[in-house]
Formats: sequence, structure tokens, C-alpha cells
Amino acid sequence: MSNQASIRRLPQARRPALLGGYEWATLGLVGFAFAVPVLTRNPQILSQTNLILIAATAALGVYIMLRMDLMSFAVPAFMAIGGYTVAVLSLKLGVTDVILLGVAAFVMPALCAVPLGWLILRLKGVYFVLVTFVLTEIVQLLLFEATPLTGGSNGLVGMPAVTLFGIELMDNSQVLLTTAGLAFAGFTITALFTRYFRYEFTAIEKNDVLAESLGLACWRYKALAFSVAAGVSGLAGFALVNMLLTAHPTSFAPMSSVSYITYTIVGGKGAILGTLAGAALLVTATDLFALKGELSPGLFGLLIIVVTLVARGGVIGLAAKAAGRLRRASPAAPARVAPIAAVPARGVKS
Amino acid sequence: MDNLIATGLIGISLGSQYALLALGFTLIFGILGVVNFAHGGFYVMGGYVAYYCSVVLGLPFPVAVLAATLATAALGWLFEMIILERVIEDHQATLMVTMGFYLVMATAILLLFGPESPEFSFPITGVWRAGGAYVPYANMVVIGVCLAAIVFVYWLIYRSGIGRAMRAMAEDRAVASALGMRTRALFPFAFALATGLAGLTGALVTPILALAPHVGDPVLAFSFLTVILGGLGSVAGATVAAFIVGMVEAYAAVYLGGSKGALALFVLVLLILVVRPQGLLGREVRRA
Repeated sequence: MSNQASIRRLPQARRPALLGGYEWATLGLVGFAFAVPVLTRNPQILSQTNLILIAATAALGVYIMLRMDLMSFAVPAFMAIGGYTVAVLSLKLGVTDVILLGVAAFVMPALCAVPLGWLILRLKGVYFVLVTFVLTEIVQLLLFEATPLTGGSNGLVGMPAVTLFGIELMDNSQVLLTTAGLAFAGFTITALFTRYFRYEFTAIEKNDVLAESLGLACWRYKALAFSVAAGVSGLAGFALVNMLLTAHPTSFAPMSSVSYITYTIVGGKGAILGTLAGAALLVTATDLFALKGELSPGLFGLLIIVVTLVARGGVIGLAAKAAGRLRRASPAAPARVAPIAAVPARGVKS
Repeated sequence: MDNLIATGLIGISLGSQYALLALGFTLIFGILGVVNFAHGGFYVMGGYVAYYCSVVLGLPFPVAVLAATLATAALGWLFEMIILERVIEDHQATLMVTMGFYLVMATAILLLFGPESPEFSFPITGVWRAGGAYVPYANMVVIGVCLAAIVFVYWLIYRSGIGRAMRAMAEDRAVASALGMRTRALFPFAFALATGLAGLTGALVTPILALAPHVGDPVLAFSFLTVILGGLGSVAGATVAAFIVGMVEAYAAVYLGGSKGALALFVLVLLILVVRPQGLLGREVRRA
């Protein structure tokens, strides 16, 4: 018995700090978004920041599942559940408090994910990919079919503005504040969650059969992660619905899951900063090159292929590698463990 | 009654199209262990090559269909050789590159031909009447060609040396290579065969249904459905499942309306994946 207890305590004792350099940097950057409305009134910058934050929060759903080597296409499904929950609450029940709505947008998808996770988490690899893809298609069709609740192909329109302590958050900068709040919540939850269970997740990622046989209840961590990923996706869904002031099935199209996967992979799936970097780079690139809508999928596709073939660590992996090389090249720098090495760039299969 | 029969014939026509798409998809999974996210892209490309050859260049339609088949097969061959082969051992990477390739293909088609659907109709018009049932000649041609192609694929896989080699590769790649099967030649061949089938289907079907850069998305979804239903990697399963999916879709469209048929199919497939991941006819599933 005492043996078991010591096994349980071992990783606890070795947890030096819950959050690493990447996490603090990411949270700092997301937190900076609160200052953007103060610094500028430029509607272009405000809406760009808004889009980046929503994209990055949605990509967190992919990031969490990739921590266990599971590629999830289910993000739009849970975004839809979160977004529609908010729309129904505010339109039919008159709830406008942003904190209440945020909690609902997290809890509802997370609860839905529990039975779904029980069903599908026994599948691995390709089968998991296929089943999450099918799940998103089903949710999309349900949104169209369940007209009394979802408004069918018309969607739910005319939502009232959300309120914080009774103050309406209506104009552009206030909508960005709402999104920033949701994104910050999503990133904080994800950072704490993935770091707290980092040993467990890494064990499952590297070899889940071995982890299981060493006494790790894999399904419990997978189910928990699936649920948290669903909740965080729900927050992104809330932010999207709040920005558009409508909940419509096309906002949660099954193929949009490809974009969220792209943000995560191109940014670098080894660290949480990757999802933010990927979303920021790709959303900006889409805008910068005037690749509105039509042509951006091609750019995304090309980047996915290039990253998969030559730079598995994504942008963050490349940056970490370059930083490491610089440090080694300069003899003056004392040899110390770089904070960046706290989270090794994953992706290169051993 | 007549309506029932006519709907059944539409179902068979849809089923034979799905069978061709699903056969290619399942071959790629069975032999290479790759889920080809770009399958819908090859279908669309087949449609556009056929359109370009027959409408823009003015070639006869059968030549255009042949050109579409060969062009998609050639691109599939190159894609496998140049890109897919490098990451073939890592299932997540194969998924990423096929997905990326699909996005690139769809965007390339959009750039070349524009977002509007071009004027592209089947060269044979007219309707065959039997009693009260009406069947367009075009659908009959599609059924005929698809069935011929299915028979060819079966012959190739179960009666030819190449087929034996490919089945051996699917069974156990290491042993098959040790016995002298040439992976480097067979993988691109299998991939090209599958994408050629997708191109052929696209060339035949898009003039009847619709041709536009984005029509590959539903094709991908329905290929998934069919192949999961039949069992990933199972050739017979894919064929049977394709006709089930075609029938359900045709009858649901006529009698239920909306997307209820698709919804029922997706839920059925979700349950099958969970309860019986090997599918209806799949015996032994390739380890994913």
C-alpha cells in the first residue's frame, strides 16, 4: 500500500512549477488583448484581434487532444453546442450576464462530451479521426433539422448584447473585451489542465498501452481531456456567436475543423504558444494577402504539407531550434537549461 | 409503385457511383493504411478535366472521360511518389498531407476555372420509359460504366498478379516486401488506381449532378460513410455499403425530405464505428 502511495506522490514531488515559460508567455499575450481597445480605436485592428482570439481558442480543442496523440475534428461540433446554448439562453430565457453565459458555454459542451467520450474514446488513430469527423457532420445536420430549438437554416438571430454587472457590452471594443475574456479563460484552463497532467498526457502520447499496463487509467484522462477540450471549444463558440450576433449552422461547418487543426499544427503542437502563434500568423496572412475566403484554403493546405514534411514542430518548434542554436553558437552565454526546453518541441516521432 | 421503382433505380445509380469512390478509398486504406482526405479533390478534378476536354477542346465525351481518368491517376501517382511516400509510416502525417493536398487542389481548381459552375451537361439526353418508371439514359450509362469498372477492379484485385501482390502488401507489409513485392512500385500504383477511379466517377457524374470547385466536400463525407459502413479496407464491404447508402439516400430524399436520410446514415455509422469498428463485412481490420 505504501508502495502505491509513493508512486502516486512521485510526480507530485517533481512538479517544480505548474506553469512553464511558454504558458506564461501565452497568457501574457492573450491578456494583452484586453489593452488593445484602450490603445486603438481602429475597427480593422479590433476585428482582426477578435478573429485571432476566437481562432486560437477554438484551436485549443485540437491542441488538448493532440497532447494524447488524438487528432480531433470535433471542435466545430462543440463550438456549435456552446454557441447555441448561449443563443438559446439569451433569446428564450433572457439571460445576458456574460459570466453566467460563459459558464454555460463551457459546461454544456463539456457535459455533452462525457457520454460521447465514453462512446468514442475507445477508438484510436484513424478511427478516432473518422468518428469525430462523423460527429461534426451529425451536429451540423441536427442544427438544420432541430428547427424549434435552433431555428434551422435561419439560425437564431437578434440576440441582445451581453452584460457585465448590468453594463451592456455592445460596441466593437466591448465585443473584443468579451472575446478577450473568453479567450483568456480558455487559455488559462487549457494551460493549467495540460500542465497539471503533463506526465500523464505524455505517457499516453508516447505509448498508451504501456502507460495503461504501468497502472495509468488512460480512459479517465482521455475522457477528462475530451470534456475540457469540448468546454474550451464551447467558449470559442460563444465568442463567435457574440461577435456575429447570430448563431447559424454555417459558422460551425464541418470543414472549418481543418482550419483549427491547421492553426495548431502550423503553429506547433508541442506548446500552447503554438496555437496562438498559428492562429495569429494564419489569420493575419489570410487578411494581409487579401486572401479573403476563397484562396486561403490553398495557403493553409500548402503550409500543412510543408510543416508535416520538413518542420514537425511548427513555427514554435523552429523558433525553439533556432534559439537553441544561437545559444550554443555564443560562447559567452553560460550553459544553463533554457526555459524553452521545459517543454520539448514534440512532433518528431521517436 | 412506379415511383418506388424509379426511386430504386436512382438509388442503384447513386450506389454505383458511391461504390467506385468507396472502392478507391478502401483500396488506399487497405493497402497503404492511409485515409485519403484528398479523395473528393480527385473527384472534382476528374469532373473539370472532362469538362475542359469535352467542352473547351471539343473532344468526344468518352475521350474526355478517359483523359480525366488518366490525368487523376497520374496526379495520384505523383502525389504518392513525391509527398505521401515520405511519411507513409506515420498515420497522422499521412492524414495531414492528404488533407493539405485536398485544400491545394480545391484552390487550384478555383483559380483556374473560377467559382461558378461551368456549363457542362451529359451528351446523351432522353429518358427510358418502362411502364410508369422513367430512367434518364445518362444514369443508365453511368450505371453501366460504373459496374464495368467495379468488375475490372475485382478482376484486378482477385485474379491478377498485381492484385495478389497488393493483397499481400495489405496483409503484412514486412513479409510481403521480404518475399519480393516491390513496395515502391505497388504503393503508387494502388494510389493511382484509386484516384483514377475517383476521377472517372467525377467525369461521369458531375455533368449529371453539378460541377463546382466545392463539390468534393460531400463526396468525402459520403466516401467516409460508405467505407466505415462496409469496413475500412474491405472491398466487398465497400461495394455492398455503397448500394445501401445509395438506396437510403434516394428513398429518404423522396419520402422523408431534407437531410433526415443523411442524418440517419451518419448516426448509423457512428454507432457502427463504436460497436463494430471493423464495419459490416470487414473481418480483420488493419491496425490503425
